[in-house]
Amino acid sequence: MANEETKTLDSTPRRTTRSSSSSLSLSSPQKPSLNPPNPPPPSLPTDLLFSAQPITLDQLLSNLPGRNPQILEVLRLIGPLNSPTQPILLYGGVSTGKTSTILQVFRYLNRPFVYASCRSCYNPRILFESVLNQLLRHRRSRSSGFASSKRCERASEFVDLLRDALLRVLNELKERRGGKGGNGEMVYVIFDNVELIRSWDKSSLILCLLFRLFDILKIPELGLIYISSSTPDAYYSMTGSIGPNAVHFPEYTLNDLHGIFMRNQENPKLYSSFLSVVLKPFSRVTKRVDELATAFESLFRKYCEPLTDLKLFPDERMKRRLFDYIQPHLTASLNETFDVPVRSSSESAKDGDYTKKGSIRKTVGGNDSLAELDFHMSVSAKYLLLSAFLASRNPATLDAALFDSTGGSSSRKRKRKSSQASIDQNDHKAEEILIKGPGTFPLERLLAIFQCITSLSEEALEEEQLQEGKGIENATVGLMSDVLLQLSTLCNANFLCKSGSCPLDGSRRYRSTIDEDFALKVARSINFPLSKYIYRR
Amino acid sequence: MATSPTASDPPSSPIAASDTADNNLQPFFVLHKALPGKSEKRASGSGRTRRKIDLSASSPKSAEKSDQIPPDDSDAICEKLRLEAFERTWSKIDSTIKEVLRQINLNLFNEVLQWIQELFSIIKSSRTTSLSEIQRPYPLLTDALCRRVPAAFVFTKNVEFVDDLLTFQDLGVHLKSNRCHVASLSGLDFLAKHGIGGCVRSLLRQLVSDASDVADFAVLASWYCEQENYNNPIIIIIDDMQRCNGGVLGEFITLLSEWVIKIPIFIIMGVATTVDAPRKLLSSNALQHLQPCKLTLGSPAERMNALVEAILVKPCSGFSISHKVAVFLRNYFLRHDGTITSFISALKLACSKHFSLEPLSCLCLGTFDENRRDEFDAFPGPILRTAFDLPSCKREKISQGSGTSITQGLSQLRKLQRSWSSVVMCLFETGKRSKMQLLDIFCEASDPNLQISSMTRGIPITGKLGSGKAGFIAQAIHRVRELPIALLPHVLKMWSLHMKDMNEVIDKVKELQSNIASGDGGQLYKEKWTDIHKRPVYLGARKGTVSVNDKAAMLLDDMVRKYLTPIECAPFHEIICFGHVEILQSALIGDTRRIIQVDLLKPQNHLRCSCCNGDENIVSPTMHDTSIMYYLSQEYGDVINLHDWYQIFKVTISTPSSKSRKRLHNSPASKKLKTTPTENEAEIQSRFCRAVTELQITGLLRMPSKRRPDFVQRVAFGL
Repeated sequence: MANEETKTLDSTPRRTTRSSSSSLSLSSPQKPSLNPPNPPPPSLPTDLLFSAQPITLDQLLSNLPGRNPQILEVLRLIGPLNSPTQPILLYGGVSTGKTSTILQVFRYLNRPFVYASCRSCYNPRILFESVLNQLLRHRRSRSSGFASSKRCERASEFVDLLRDALLRVLNELKERRGGKGGNGEMVYVIFDNVELIRSWDKSSLILCLLFRLFDILKIPELGLIYISSSTPDAYYSMTGSIGPNAVHFPEYTLNDLHGIFMRNQENPKLYSSFLSVVLKPFSRVTKRVDELATAFESLFRKYCEPLTDLKLFPDERMKRRLFDYIQPHLTASLNETFDVPVRSSSESAKDGDYTKKGSIRKTVGGNDSLAELDFHMSVSAKYLLLSAFLASRNPATLDAALFDSTGGSSSRKRKRKSSQASIDQNDHKAEEILIKGPGTFPLERLLAIFQCITSLSEEALEEEQLQEGKGIENATVGLMSDVLLQLSTLCNANFLCKSGSCPLDGSRRYRSTIDEDFALKVARSINFPLSKYIYRR
Repeated sequence: MATSPTASDPPSSPIAASDTADNNLQPFFVLHKALPGKSEKRASGSGRTRRKIDLSASSPKSAEKSDQIPPDDSDAICEKLRLEAFERTWSKIDSTIKEVLRQINLNLFNEVLQWIQELFSIIKSSRTTSLSEIQRPYPLLTDALCRRVPAAFVFTKNVEFVDDLLTFQDLGVHLKSNRCHVASLSGLDFLAKHGIGGCVRSLLRQLVSDASDVADFAVLASWYCEQENYNNPIIIIIDDMQRCNGGVLGEFITLLSEWVIKIPIFIIMGVATTVDAPRKLLSSNALQHLQPCKLTLGSPAERMNALVEAILVKPCSGFSISHKVAVFLRNYFLRHDGTITSFISALKLACSKHFSLEPLSCLCLGTFDENRRDEFDAFPGPILRTAFDLPSCKREKISQGSGTSITQGLSQLRKLQRSWSSVVMCLFETGKRSKMQLLDIFCEASDPNLQISSMTRGIPITGKLGSGKAGFIAQAIHRVRELPIALLPHVLKMWSLHMKDMNEVIDKVKELQSNIASGDGGQLYKEKWTDIHKRPVYLGARKGTVSVNDKAAMLLDDMVRKYLTPIECAPFHEIICFGHVEILQSALIGDTRRIIQVDLLKPQNHLRCSCCNGDENIVSPTMHDTSIMYYLSQEYGDVINLHDWYQIFKVTISTPSSKSRKRLHNSPASKKLKTTPTENEAEIQSRFCRAVTELQITGLLRMPSKRRPDFVQRVAFGL
């Protein structure tokens, strides 16, 4: 063991013979260089401790409103320094304060810990190396090519290296405490976002390793804490060992949310009156703090718009007036998940946009469908998009009827066919189409429809141009050429998506992803009678 | 060439053109015309003018080669001059284009920079994170309830993305010069196949030059803490957001959000279509982590206006295009491609063709640049004399003279063009407000028939089109009448800027301006009116008083009448004006598949060979292999059995030509028909393969799939 330690202390590259095939293992651990901007590598305790000043228990409890039972439970499970800690799993929905709670707890406890988020460390190697780097207090720097302290790709390597590093840290801690002794030492490892591992390659292997780490290492001074947004059952099947102690973080209640949002407000009374308006309706939609915070941020700005002085305390009358003002924005913002504010240098354009937005909100998107297409698209791409929309929307069997060469007579034909039985059948079919969503189609069908609708419109266009007296040169500019180029353009713009190949002939199939409103907008811009061709029951 | 170059004759002789046609495999021709040398065949059969034949078959190089056939000194000199002239002209146009686009983009760039600086200063003032804190692996505890990455969506307003790739590249350079760290990612970095590792690796590779290959985001944090990198924002430019895989991009954004408190990261994303695009692409969880902001790039129409103004209307180089070419380019832009890139490449093609086809085109620069006049003297006389054979000269009955008369003619041309472009700009200035495009006005104003009609009829131009819609010029003039009085001074100011070379117009504009300044409602007295306009027609129409708007409209009308003479109406215009629209058309658009199919089925129409001149429905072995193959494939449905097809093909081509048979392939018995192999089996097979490949290239066939290796599939029936 001591041998191992000196090795790591001398920071000689410990090459793994089989796995290190590339020359990259040369980027081996070196002593962190003392670059001027980097503060000198801090002494052990501060490096693994929380960086900010420790807090008292009262501060801890008041910092996290609504999480007091969880904090106390976690503190109980972690226990005093001289007793081993069983692994703990904190679980609960997104944005319920799991990570902040555990970090604040360690700030209060002021004990050394290591933190690794499986989101930032998105593959096993980075996860392993990140944990080892922290334990070895390795600092990346330019001189070493920003490399990790150890190259570690396999789980078995990780276990060995982790054991070495942990023992070293514990030894140092003991030495530092020196004579005091008796109290014992603990090092904690926190794995955040553990649920993400499930989507990795060989996920079961890694999960199994992480959850059994306590049993494998058999170091009582190691405390393991897992944070996950999925429930503990998700991991039972994978571990095969005793499950960790689970602490559930439930959704915040209305009171908790009020407490959270009231922290650090400049004008608590004003904000409280604002919260009394918005919190209730919004909490019915979501109780995620981050979502609410985003929504409230812009709404509060709206709320304050009529006010000249942000520091004044609102009385009842003013509250009512402010409520009337915010009311129309409220419903719109409830339906809006993602609002992109316009940024433009000219003030006038800004104002114009604001007024437009207001009117849109009142009519809830009514104006939207009337708006013009606000980006450039060549005419042939528009026709292709429309034909793709039709191909996705209409059943293939009706193509012949809809795109009859006689054009107008198609509707009559369909009427003649419909007996009572066929009407029922059609009802059924329409329902099916609705449930299935846009259908897929082969390239050939798309091109056939494209040809039909362009040939019709080209005739019209030619007549028009002949009237204008410049038909000669325009007539030859057909829309048909470069169709495949346009197709790839539409695919790139996500208007079409390629969806699997047909099981029978293996040819590529497409699907249009645009909605009817957009298709109508496009059709209007080229004067194409789209509604004539849409199959409705 | 010097022997008898009449103007209607093409500069290259047909023989030379046909010789070079086979080597002349431009990319366009490969795709659209799979048959080698087909362009030549097609053209000879199409019964169009001879001019087109040679032009479509000759590339610039081949044309130059063919020019050299008559060994003449003057020819060589001329050739060299033209090449030089082309290079100079195009470099001038090219630099103008770049400058125009740069100016347009500069607005956006500055706005982006301002956005970054504003947010960055907020971040710097609110967060005081020490270097050691940044490198901590755990998230910093702040009061912020949610961590959001500032993201600017740049709406490019064009479905096609080609134009904007360069814009984003320039944006990166611009930001870099303003002390930002810039990393540009593209759709290829966000593939589902590589997952999040791909984009993080690409990001690190661009920023951290000496990083190891482990794409750990913590590396970026350490890198940021280096002294030279600290305290500058990191900008991530994703040029085409819509081509990214939504899942990977979303994951990347959530990853960034974990670090955004510690490192100032900004994302700039290009969106081609609508605001809905990011909403559709990304999950709500990822959107939650964005602090969005919308920026808009100049629309393609705006860019087009600026380009047309700089290149075509105000000729920067002396090169210009004819009405037909302008109309073609406009249609191509609106209906086919819609990218500035292809517009520019079309223009370049036109330019190169002009200089390679027009023997006198080297005078182009001389027309433009006064200092180059002496180049005329260096010019060989015989060539110069051919200028008088140009159709425009013949029409105007300008007799053969000395070099000086050409010089005069050209300077006249230049003057004409200058006044013409001034008027066009004035028209655009008024039409701009009703969203008129400069290219439309340009097309109409360059129509040679416009001048004739307005001259001969003598009625106001507003009535020119009679039955149809009013033209753009008429609309613009009409627009002046409706212009609010508050806007009129501005428009007049712009007019005076555009017309600064023409004193008489300037005077009138000034008078109008002073009228507006002094007069209250814009009512004018009759006397003043008669001073300016000596035409009694208008006097009769107006009763006593005329509003300033009407007066301005009449002034514009007057300008149009006097100065809007299309360049094609002037003698010698062929020297500077490119008019061969067919060349552009065949190069840019090509044939539709339908035409290819028809041609394949009836090769006799083009070949006019003696061997298969008879009935068109007969497959004869002397036909081209691809044609035979296509003909035979007509008998099948969606799929063609390769073996059968090959057998029939073999039978067909190995039958002596005298026994041309009718439709042998539709009887199954034909397969069993034993013909003695006159040709080597291998050769037949290779011919077969070649024909199949050609059909595939033309897009008429799909090669056998793994699932059904014996069958090829027919595509694009009747298309």
